[in-house]
Amino acid sequence: MTAQDTSLAARLDRVLMTFGAWLLALLWILPLAYAVWTAFHPSAYETNFTLTAPLTLENFPKAWVQAPFARYFLNTMILVAMTLSAQLVLSTFAAYAFARLKFPGKTILFTLVLLQLMVTPDILLVKNYETMGTLGLVDSILAIGLPYFASGFCIFLLRQTFMTIPKELDDAARIEGEGLIGTLWRVYIPLAKPTYLAFGLVSVSAHWNDFLWPLIVTNSVETRPLTVGLSVFSMTESGVEWSVINAATLMTSGPLLVGFLLFQRQFVQSFMRAGIK
Amino acid sequence: MASRFLKSTLAAAMLSAVAMPAFAVDLQFYFPVSVGGKAADTIQSLTEDYVASHEDVNIDAIYAGSYTDALTKAMTAARGGNAPQLSVLLSTDMFTLIDQDLIEPFDDFVTDEEGKEWFGSFYPAFMMNSQTGGKTWGIPFQRSTPVMYWNKEAFKEAGLDPDKAPATWEEMVDYAHKLTKKDDSGNVTQWGLRIPLDGFPYWLFQGLSTPAGAILANADGNKTDFANPKVVEALQFLVDMAKKEKVIEDGVTSWSATPKAFFERQSAMIWTTTGNLTNIRTNAPFDFGVGFLPKHERYGAPTGGGNFVLFKDASEDQKKAAVNFVKWISAPEQAAKWSIATGYVAPSPAAWETEAMKAYAKDVPQAAVARDQLEYAVAELSTYENQKVTNFLNDAIHAALAGEKSPKEALEEAQKKAERVLKNYR
Repeated sequence: MTAQDTSLAARLDRVLMTFGAWLLALLWILPLAYAVWTAFHPSAYETNFTLTAPLTLENFPKAWVQAPFARYFLNTMILVAMTLSAQLVLSTFAAYAFARLKFPGKTILFTLVLLQLMVTPDILLVKNYETMGTLGLVDSILAIGLPYFASGFCIFLLRQTFMTIPKELDDAARIEGEGLIGTLWRVYIPLAKPTYLAFGLVSVSAHWNDFLWPLIVTNSVETRPLTVGLSVFSMTESGVEWSVINAATLMTSGPLLVGFLLFQRQFVQSFMRAGIK
Repeated sequence: MASRFLKSTLAAAMLSAVAMPAFAVDLQFYFPVSVGGKAADTIQSLTEDYVASHEDVNIDAIYAGSYTDALTKAMTAARGGNAPQLSVLLSTDMFTLIDQDLIEPFDDFVTDEEGKEWFGSFYPAFMMNSQTGGKTWGIPFQRSTPVMYWNKEAFKEAGLDPDKAPATWEEMVDYAHKLTKKDDSGNVTQWGLRIPLDGFPYWLFQGLSTPAGAILANADGNKTDFANPKVVEALQFLVDMAKKEKVIEDGVTSWSATPKAFFERQSAMIWTTTGNLTNIRTNAPFDFGVGFLPKHERYGAPTGGGNFVLFKDASEDQKKAAVNFVKWISAPEQAAKWSIATGYVAPSPAAWETEAMKAYAKDVPQAAVARDQLEYAVAELSTYENQKVTNFLNDAIHAALAGEKSPKEALEEAQKKAERVLKNYR
């Protein structure tokens, strides 16, 4: 094979890669582009893509008044903040114990934690509801988040990360006189930052989007999240008004999208470092 | 920190429980929303009206998502020992709810005479999905039925009388031929007819099988009749319209895009629920008519929509209060208000006699078509293990439309599968 051939092959390879990347990016952006198109145009242009179609903002107020979205926004914020902080605190301690401490039954306990990853939460709806009922928590934001506080996924991720941190660093911190908490705070947590960021993204988007469990366990406007508000638009009997539903979708997913665009680089990097691709 | 939060929440819950007046009965009532407009607000305001005039009862009306979500929510809450006292659920879920031992008939809370009068005040077609084994398990509330909408302008262009809908299957095919328009390259620009069959095909299919003279399931909900030659005839007719006559789009068309296809003149006639009337009235840029589904051996259509059901797990006082509330909200004045706000068919003849409803029917004469069709309407397909059994039929319809199986084969297979499930309930 001559040198020219190789460079040709390499160039072809690059062209194909770029083409593939563009194609995937287009596929990914299409639903979003359609949502933006319908949200900013009158409903007559839902399926006619005329460039000269009149722009309008009226779909947004129309969607906004159909449910108490302001309150729902607040509830969702409280929910994801509460759930994420509880998950991070609990999982950090658990992961450290599984990674570095020696205690009887460690393997069995860790297997049990991993088992959690294989059970879909939908199967546990009734049991979880019963538990919330016993605790007197039905119809509270705490009840939506509580079953997810001890996240097996987070414990697993952090344990794997903690195990890659050299034991020597740990020992050095101990020699300097740090206790267990100090070592965790000064050595492990800073080194595992990418993992925290990656898990944070997964957790926030999962709880931001969760619908069925919040719908079941809550009853009032004061506790319900955005997704429940969004569901009033899925009118199965009388057909769907795409312009209004997409205005509402953009509104409710807007903060997540903006957040992602702002922190995009960090997210991608942290995913690479945390080994979730 | 979490435990302190928990404690304070608990304390708050206890305090609020103590603060309630001891004599008032608390009721929870779940409702699903599946039509546009201000349906949820209307329910809330009706409930508030009732509570304002009845001091001995507090009613918490809770929005519960779609019909499927509402059923999941109610069943989860009931199994978790926290059932609502009342819920609006699909009338076809009746057998499932009885089978799970979650609901109670209304008969025990009224005297025989009251019961006869109350249950008899609704259109009999709506009671078919509400009664079984001599008991009344559901009170009709948000009920509907499919009708045919047609574009009067398209009729004129095709040289048809714009004020006359096709009355029989033959006429419908004939009209549809005249209404199907093609451009120069042979692509269809306007279909004669559209019968959307994506989400719950059995429902509109009942608009064919009933006129053909078949009833798909018995009143005890434990026997289906899918392989009946008349059902086969109905499915064959549907397949022929797509494959042979080519007057409906081949394949499975979408339910939710159907009104849109009508507005944009992609279909000159459509079958859809009467619940779409308000939507079509506001958005159709042309004159349209509403008519019965055409007859074959007879006229016929299924009913659909939701009933009030009474949950078992409640105190006697709660149940009594719940029944009183249902009595009130299903009474003519309230039923009329609800029907006008949403487009659902008011479920009792008396509701149509109220001033508000008369004025509405005068303003929107099309609304009365659905009511008049009720005389010929039958129960929506409903059996024990409803979702499973209904899906056997749905799959058969889709398989026949896709040309994978002949209608006869597909339906016989569906019947066999249904038999296997339902023989346990006889």
